[in-house]
Amino acid sequence: MKRLLLIRGAELALFALLATVPLLVANAYALALLTLLAIYGILLIGLDVTVGYLGQINLGHVAFLGLGAYAAGIGVTRFGLGMPSALAAATAVGLVLGSLLALPALRLEGPQFALATLSFTALSFTFLNEMEGLTGGAQGLSLTRPPLFGHDLSPQGFYWLCTVLLACVWMIMRNLLSSQWGRAIEALRDSPIATDAMGVGVYRHKVAAFALGSALGGLAGGLYAFNFQYLQPQSFVYDLMVILLMGVVLGGRKSLWGAFVGASIVVLLPNLLSNRLIFQAVSGLGLLMALVSGIRGLLRKTTRPFQALAPIVSMGLLVGGGLLVANTEDWRKGIFALMLFSVVVGLPEGLMGFAARFLVRLFRVAPAPLPAPSSLDEVLPSRPADGSTLLELIDLKRHFGGVKAVDGLSMTVRSGQIHGLIGPNGSGKSTVVNVISGLYPPSSGRMLLRGKPLPLGSLYRAARSGVARTFQNLQLFSELTAIENVLVALNGVYRSPLPLVLLGMARAEERHARADALALLELMGLKDQARTKAKDLTYGAQRFLEIARALARRPDLLILDEPAAGLAHPDVLQLIETIRRVHQRGISIILIEHHMDVVSELCTVVTVLDGGRVIAEGSPEDVKRHPKVVEAYLGQTDRDREAAAPDAPPLPA
Amino acid sequence: MNLQIIGQMAVSGALMGMVYALIAYGFQLTYATSKSINFGQGELVMVSAFFSLTLLDLGVPFWLMVPGGLVFGALLGLLVERAGVRLALEEKSEGWVLLTIIIGLFFFSAAENIWGRDDRPFPSPFSPDSVQVFGVDITRQEIAVAVGVLAIMGLIEIFKRRTLLGKAFEAVSADRDAAELMGISATRTVMLSYALSGGVAAVAGILVSPITTVGPTMASALILKAFSVAVVAGLDSGFGVVLIGMALGALESLASFYIGSGWREAPGLMLLILALAVRPTGVFGKAGIRKV
Repeated sequence: MKRLLLIRGAELALFALLATVPLLVANAYALALLTLLAIYGILLIGLDVTVGYLGQINLGHVAFLGLGAYAAGIGVTRFGLGMPSALAAATAVGLVLGSLLALPALRLEGPQFALATLSFTALSFTFLNEMEGLTGGAQGLSLTRPPLFGHDLSPQGFYWLCTVLLACVWMIMRNLLSSQWGRAIEALRDSPIATDAMGVGVYRHKVAAFALGSALGGLAGGLYAFNFQYLQPQSFVYDLMVILLMGVVLGGRKSLWGAFVGASIVVLLPNLLSNRLIFQAVSGLGLLMALVSGIRGLLRKTTRPFQALAPIVSMGLLVGGGLLVANTEDWRKGIFALMLFSVVVGLPEGLMGFAARFLVRLFRVAPAPLPAPSSLDEVLPSRPADGSTLLELIDLKRHFGGVKAVDGLSMTVRSGQIHGLIGPNGSGKSTVVNVISGLYPPSSGRMLLRGKPLPLGSLYRAARSGVARTFQNLQLFSELTAIENVLVALNGVYRSPLPLVLLGMARAEERHARADALALLELMGLKDQARTKAKDLTYGAQRFLEIARALARRPDLLILDEPAAGLAHPDVLQLIETIRRVHQRGISIILIEHHMDVVSELCTVVTVLDGGRVIAEGSPEDVKRHPKVVEAYLGQTDRDREAAAPDAPPLPA
Repeated sequence: MNLQIIGQMAVSGALMGMVYALIAYGFQLTYATSKSINFGQGELVMVSAFFSLTLLDLGVPFWLMVPGGLVFGALLGLLVERAGVRLALEEKSEGWVLLTIIIGLFFFSAAENIWGRDDRPFPSPFSPDSVQVFGVDITRQEIAVAVGVLAIMGLIEIFKRRTLLGKAFEAVSADRDAAELMGISATRTVMLSYALSGGVAAVAGILVSPITTVGPTMASALILKAFSVAVVAGLDSGFGVVLIGMALGALESLASFYIGSGWREAPGLMLLILALAVRPTGVFGKAGIRKV
């Protein structure tokens, strides 16, 4: 609680300060800078959604600024729109074009995504420059700021409008990012496959996030148009884009404060360069910081030599160059480049990330206590196990090129059973699981869950229809805490409509969800590690967390893919006990396992695969003695071969 | 008459497209070894071209200038690798996208201040008269572009297949970890690929400059097209870039003729976004299987 108060207090203080400055300082130039700061604040918060939260380099944001600005400008000059509707139009243009670009672009990752957005920037420049009839082309577009609800805004009034909008955007983004929705976005960066497999659509979240960021870009564009009252396509090109990226990275990614700090830097940069004294002071300070932190890092061996030395060299170039060069304005881009380089290499989490670590140490405030866990009956209500057919696989095939990983497999899983799936390595077990859970579509064959066809080739839709799985090679959301991992997957608790979430009125729901998640962690023996990041858990704990997360889906069918792989013996015993308790609640389980003791202990039915086909099925005791199973695991004995001789040609020696 | 104009436009566009293909080939080289590309490659082309021009101004003969420019480009490539790529690769992050953009920005600023903001002509060693092929005029410089592009790509491909170092290059491209276990230094191979890529960029600059002139803005004009070619063809498509490059060049030149010169880049860019959406691995790229 205290922590929350500190953060909220800092936010309130910031906005109170922003609101009162124009009353205290009557300076037209300072007011213009502050107005620009509020506009760029909105713009960078939007950019941070993709660059920070989605972790993609977005080179298209400047295009949305430009398109939004022109939408507002054209709306006012051509269609006589008022200020609110022009701003709404600017936002809508950002939102719609953002979704249109996101649909193809977000199928891509990394460099390809950066390229697609870069092309969009170039394309929109061409459009604005060439559609002279609409935009005025290279001549530019002049407009006058329309009145707001019948009042002509003074520069001061317009500044307040921008500040109020910044505050609204700030609040909405804070609520959104701390909601289930924001958590999903953080999760999908760590493991898109698991995000889909937990029934949280990766693609739709990415597209929505990008569209939202672009809408904020459009809104900032509308304000930009009313601020400068003159637009030129040349303003919205790659050069500005690099500066905006620099703002976000310098300020600190994944942080509203970071975006704000970044916006301040972007706004102040021209002043920094035009005044030699300020420039030398800042670059000298930068060099000093690089030296101090670099040498400290080297002595304590916390940073790599390159990370310590590169910022020193680059800041040194800046200081040395500042003394040699006649006019720093000419070297604008070079100076940006050197500063940005030092920050990206030496201070990857940005100024706010650095400050946040420092502040956390300064104000040691305990996090809010976790709620008491819900009762397990509430989270996983017991269901009757009637032994009816749950999952039916009919002549299932999956081929990879010439490899027949699954080759005509039929099996039935009954409700309330723990159904073992075993077989030697390469027998097709994992492929079967991957086909059922929707990672691959089957090459042919049918899959029925409670008599209804399962969705094919979509992790997301298979998860939604009641299948939950764990992964043999762990796919946890490693940067999230244990409880957050479970919360991402939690099914059926979050019901509040988006507008309420945005206004921060879904807190009760969040508390309920936490209590439920904690109950699942308790079931897995992880309650005391709820706040540990998944990547910091022990290997065994990570395996149990996978199961807790899959259970949060409240699935009809739970698929455990080698849950005991790599576990120490005591953990294996605990695993057996835990699976049994899950099973007692009436959840049907498919268990893939190499540990025969685990299989014998838990399973009622075991299906044995070899070469992508079923070679035996029955109780664990029966299949253990089945000759084909023995052969598959241990190979043929001589006696077997003699026995088989009549209908098989002798093997060449 | 009309058909002849179309033919003329398409052919000279396609020959320009071969330069885009050569720069795109430079992307492939580094992508193969490190899954990274230099977003400041256009600046490398531009700075190397300026450097070569300075060599000529200093009286260095043309045929000595070419290797000089090539070595300079290779050195810049090494600088980009050391300063912008290696750290990000060691941390397995995508920080190199941002860092190579930043380094490109620095080169741009340096070029603006050292060589000036204006476009400058670049001499050609060939006579300006042209050859007629099926009624289409082709200048000697354009022929030199085609020959030069194919020659350097062919040389590098032979190097990759026939020499021990080249085989190390292929091994790291196929599986970095396995190659390291076999005693091949992946770091050195990545350095090699960046040096080659820088050299290729310099050659592209020397080949294209007599046609387009040299200026700081040539960087952004070339880079976007080279990107389009590399991505539409696929970042592991080998000679596929040449076909796509020629097609894109021809399309661009026809678009600027029929729609207007301001629109010349638009069809290529739309094609890029569409191609990415339909086939993210490129026309000639190989699609992988998702594994868990």
